[in-house]
Amino acid sequence: MTLALFVDITLNSLVLGGVFLIVAIGLNIIYGLSRVMNLAHGSLYAIGAYAGYTLVTQKIPFFVAILIAPLIVGVVGLVLERTIIAPMRKRSMIYTLILTYGLMFALDGLIKYTWGNEPRFMAMPAFMRETMPILGTHYPVFRLVTLLITAAVMAALMLFLGKTKTGITLRAAATIPEMVSCLGINMTHVHIGAFVLGCCLAGIAGVIAGPLTTIDPLMGHGMLISSFVVIVIGGLGSLRGAVIAALLIGVVQTLAEFFITDLAMVIVYMLMAVILAFRPRGLLGEGKFE
Amino acid sequence: MKKTALAVFSVWMIVMMGAALPAAAADPVKIGVLVPLTGIVAQGGLEMKMGIEMAALEKKTVLGRPIELVVEDTQLKPDVAVSKAEKLVFNDNCKALIGVFSSGVGLAIAKNIDKLNVPFLTTHVMTTEFYGMHPLVFRCGQLANDQTAVGNVKGIVDRPDLKDRKYYVIVHDYAWGHDAGKRFIDLAKQNNIKIVNEDFDRAPTSTKDWSSYISKIKASGADGIYIAFITNVIPIFAKQAADFGLTKTAKIVSAAAPGPMELEEGGEACYGIFGASDWSWDVNTPVSDKWEMEFWNKYKTIPSDAAVHSYVGMMNLLNAIEKAKSTEAKAIADALRGISFDGPYGTVRISAFDNCARNDAVLTETMAAPANPYGAKVVMKVLKTYKAEELGPPEK
Repeated sequence: MTLALFVDITLNSLVLGGVFLIVAIGLNIIYGLSRVMNLAHGSLYAIGAYAGYTLVTQKIPFFVAILIAPLIVGVVGLVLERTIIAPMRKRSMIYTLILTYGLMFALDGLIKYTWGNEPRFMAMPAFMRETMPILGTHYPVFRLVTLLITAAVMAALMLFLGKTKTGITLRAAATIPEMVSCLGINMTHVHIGAFVLGCCLAGIAGVIAGPLTTIDPLMGHGMLISSFVVIVIGGLGSLRGAVIAALLIGVVQTLAEFFITDLAMVIVYMLMAVILAFRPRGLLGEGKFE
Repeated sequence: MKKTALAVFSVWMIVMMGAALPAAAADPVKIGVLVPLTGIVAQGGLEMKMGIEMAALEKKTVLGRPIELVVEDTQLKPDVAVSKAEKLVFNDNCKALIGVFSSGVGLAIAKNIDKLNVPFLTTHVMTTEFYGMHPLVFRCGQLANDQTAVGNVKGIVDRPDLKDRKYYVIVHDYAWGHDAGKRFIDLAKQNNIKIVNEDFDRAPTSTKDWSSYISKIKASGADGIYIAFITNVIPIFAKQAADFGLTKTAKIVSAAAPGPMELEEGGEACYGIFGASDWSWDVNTPVSDKWEMEFWNKYKTIPSDAAVHSYVGMMNLLNAIEKAKSTEAKAIADALRGISFDGPYGTVRISAFDNCARNDAVLTETMAAPANPYGAKVVMKVLKTYKAEELGPPEK
């Protein structure tokens, strides 16, 4: 393997893993804090991509669109949480599971109705359409920008959850919700905040994945499955586990597509099965939210 | 008294028969239309439906009866398509089935044709397995894989900018893709075209991120790429290949025509895709131009090959029912064998030898479109026309 090829594969793995990571962490936060397994998360990711596409088509700069589109998805999430999810929260998880499954199809239908069936290509700023020479290969600038955005999002999220009062409250609410409630913190606000934050993360991932892979109404389905694989491997509720799992899946899928094309996805699921056989709660899962 | 009663009864019978005749004449001839209206090729399915509908509207009646189209969504899933086909035949009483995108779906229906017992005419299945498959199974539409491979190999050999390149072959991982890849490689080797990977790559149809495959192509040193992807995916691959700068050095040759709506979205990134196809709106004949404008005026959609194939297939099917003077399965099938229709891409004849169409085709390259009534930015420019006899296969 040449150095250029090694660089190509490494960067491809990081970019793919980065998108998986943002989506999976959003899903993980929603589950960890509000105990909702949101099967409509992939569709919210798609709405993020379409919102970004629409903004860019309206001549709004890409870097502004990447800020606005997640907020739009956050608002959609807020409406869904208040009108559909919240009334079901006190029931068994199976209710929200079925509910969000139906919601996924409703949102997919809404996307098709609004934007049509054909794939959409998001325009990028001119400098991002170029390639950059790196250690013997020419790599798309946009993909490198995607890596930087992923790193920035993760850093901001870690700071938010680790250093701010709200973030610390959210983490505490995930571990000992009764105690947090006794301290006078409104748990409904925590649930809303978690759901909206998770949706915003799906929106960010959608905007950066749009130019990466093109946008289509069902783009969220594959991403939802990959995110679940990340969460299961990383450990339900574990953010650090999700980071490790996302990078692992990115590397394994990229290498498998390169060397054993026909079995790429089979290898990913086999990896999941092996990890679960030895660590049933995933790599870092402890059955609670960190 | 008896005579009077007989006379009254006779008059009553005549009146009743008279009343019944128009009712029978008004019974529509039902045709089952199987197209994918959800999933990754939903746009193509919609265009197929438009083409079929246009033919039915143009014909208005068949055997003096109105034509009724019963449309079902195959969801691009073989099992769903078979269920829908059974519903169309046994529940809706359709006299023939038309449409179908994907060889996997087409083969599933064809394997159930004895049970269905109606003529099945596909407008989009390209696998060579359809040649002479069953007396009730026909293809009239998109070129078959062997015909496309002949057109593409001829195109590569004829064009200096394509000829001396090393080709990397990558296909979608299902029946059609495998068949298309194999056909091209076999023919390319016979014509001294260099192939980098004879054991070609098979990518899942769910692939969204092509970066791994593109890295592989870059690493192989290939400066030509032969792709056999579902039409809507072609511009997606081309766009990502352009992102990586691959298309600055490598030319893409495609086993299927890209969808025009997706080409529009891909824009400049989709320039420079070569491929043999039946038709493009750049075909400038009076019949083609007239059809394009009628299609545009009706649907306000760029005329696509998916629509035109389906239109031609439907015209051949309706003409066969007229010729058969019956809606009986065997009679329609007999009439379909050898029938031909002069349409937007010339004479399209269904061979009596193997039940599959023979027609002229064109080699095209995608590039910036000249001013056109459809507002299209990308055109599949016609570079060359091939006669049906050149594309084969032989009919003996």
